Amino acid sequence: MRIVSGGVTDVGRVRTNNEDCYKIVEPLNLFVLSDGMGGEAHGEIASAMAVETVVKHCLDAETNPAAPLIGAVQPDWSARTKHLTTSVHLANRYIFKSAEKNPDRRGMGATLTAVWIDGARLSIAHVGDSRAYLLRGGSLLQLTRDHSLVAEQVRRGILTAAEAEESGMQSVLLRALGAQALIEVDAEEHTLFPLDVLLLCSDGLSRMVTEPEIAGTLQAETDPARAAEKLVGLANERGGPDNITVVIARIEKESRGWFSWLRGGTAKNQGSNGSAGGN
Amino acid sequence: MVALEEIEMPKLSLMFNNKIVKEVSVGSRPVTIGRSPDNDLPVDNLAVSNYHAKIYFEAGRMVVEDLDSLNGTFVNDLRVERATLHDGDNVHIGKHRIKVDTSGDAPVPWDSGRKTATPRIDETMVLDTKERRQMLQQAAAMGESMQFASARMKVPTLVVLNGKTDQKEYVLINKLTVIGKSAMATVRLMGWFKPHMAAQINQRDDGYYLGPGDKVPNVNGTPISGPVRLNDGDLVEVSGVRLNFIFRE
Repeated sequence: MRIVSGGVTDVGRVRTNNEDCYKIVEPLNLFVLSDGMGGEAHGEIASAMAVETVVKHCLDAETNPAAPLIGAVQPDWSARTKHLTTSVHLANRYIFKSAEKNPDRRGMGATLTAVWIDGARLSIAHVGDSRAYLLRGGSLLQLTRDHSLVAEQVRRGILTAAEAEESGMQSVLLRALGAQALIEVDAEEHTLFPLDVLLLCSDGLSRMVTEPEIAGTLQAETDPARAAEKLVGLANERGGPDNITVVIARIEKESRGWFSWLRGGTAKNQGSNGSAGGN
Repeated sequence: MVALEEIEMPKLSLMFNNKIVKEVSVGSRPVTIGRSPDNDLPVDNLAVSNYHAKIYFEAGRMVVEDLDSLNGTFVNDLRVERATLHDGDNVHIGKHRIKVDTSGDAPVPWDSGRKTATPRIDETMVLDTKERRQMLQQAAAMGESMQFASARMKVPTLVVLNGKTDQKEYVLINKLTVIGKSAMATVRLMGWFKPHMAAQINQRDDGYYLGPGDKVPNVNGTPISGPVRLNDGDLVEVSGVRLNFIFRE
């Protein structure tokens, strides 16, 4: 499948440093986003470490079949889902160790949301309160669960969604990279369809822009980089209290036409068919 | 005589948007809260039940009791049926807040070590293992009973009533389900002119939602205008196929 993509990160209107970080690796169709936390410059360090570790491990796994697998992986996952999950465990380990070695980096941490597209298969790995959304047929669906206290309270029926929005505890995370030596990584696999749009964002977007607005923007602006700019602009218009990062990947309609699509079955393990376009 | 005057009764302040709407003191009689105007603290809001909750003294402790309200009574963000109140606690009912002030009298400061006000946290932080466990346990204690009630093992299933599909029945094991001709669709429609992706069913936190694809499906005979939550027994029609959505025990 042909994928076009684009991303924007912005410091926002209030903060002086950008602790968000993202990377698009077009040859792999790998999209990684992280939102760092910690005093001074440590949030930036943590999110950069997270993104670099994930990208490096995934690149390595492509050429090295003996690349290590760590953490709980499910046997029926694809190799890429397993490696993506492993890379997040590695990132956690590095950030945790770095914070342990340098006392001034204590409390440093990062979220991580990564998607890896391989043909029609989507692998997702996620920790924290950044998000991955899927726009399909005009419906926007959050694929990840926020690992935040308020989100957990909503899931348990203790808070309503409206109350959660007004809660002063929105920034309290239950899971983040670097907080503990070992963490649980959420991982999932899904099947992608032509015209699907994936969006990754930090909470700087999801707290300022509603889901219908995100869906509307993705439908109105089909150029990924311009859509990302628009969404960031919207968050900034509303005060931009936090760093804002948006990464968009759009699955184009198969250029070979409907015939190859109809035959099907070839979707799996198409390998490096990634003719990634983009910006 | 003077002494009597000086003993301040515990006070409840009904707040909306951080402004005090009404204040009452709690004595021997319960203070009632609800939408009906004959409550001691009337709250004019549709999210509030007519007789929503009451606050009274029992064995020297101030207690809030939810009166089977529709939308619940919350103490410091936790939904409660009945809970002991302490100085500085906040009882949330709909969008209103009732601030508890027992500082004047402090009937029984039996749990004085307890932190009351939750500081507002702007910087992102992660709870350490201990804090996290405590907060989750607290949350779990409140939420568990509700969760268990609805968490009986029920398997969402699509039963094909008519139309050509590759199976007669589909158990929705994945979060994302596509109905269409595509080889990758979960519910594969057979036939030349069927759309690749006719419709979709996606699992969200609160259930399964049917959404349009290339076609707008009908639910129980009515076309949907956006994602709609499917209920047990709903009839879904799309591209000449009729499906029954059911939860199997």
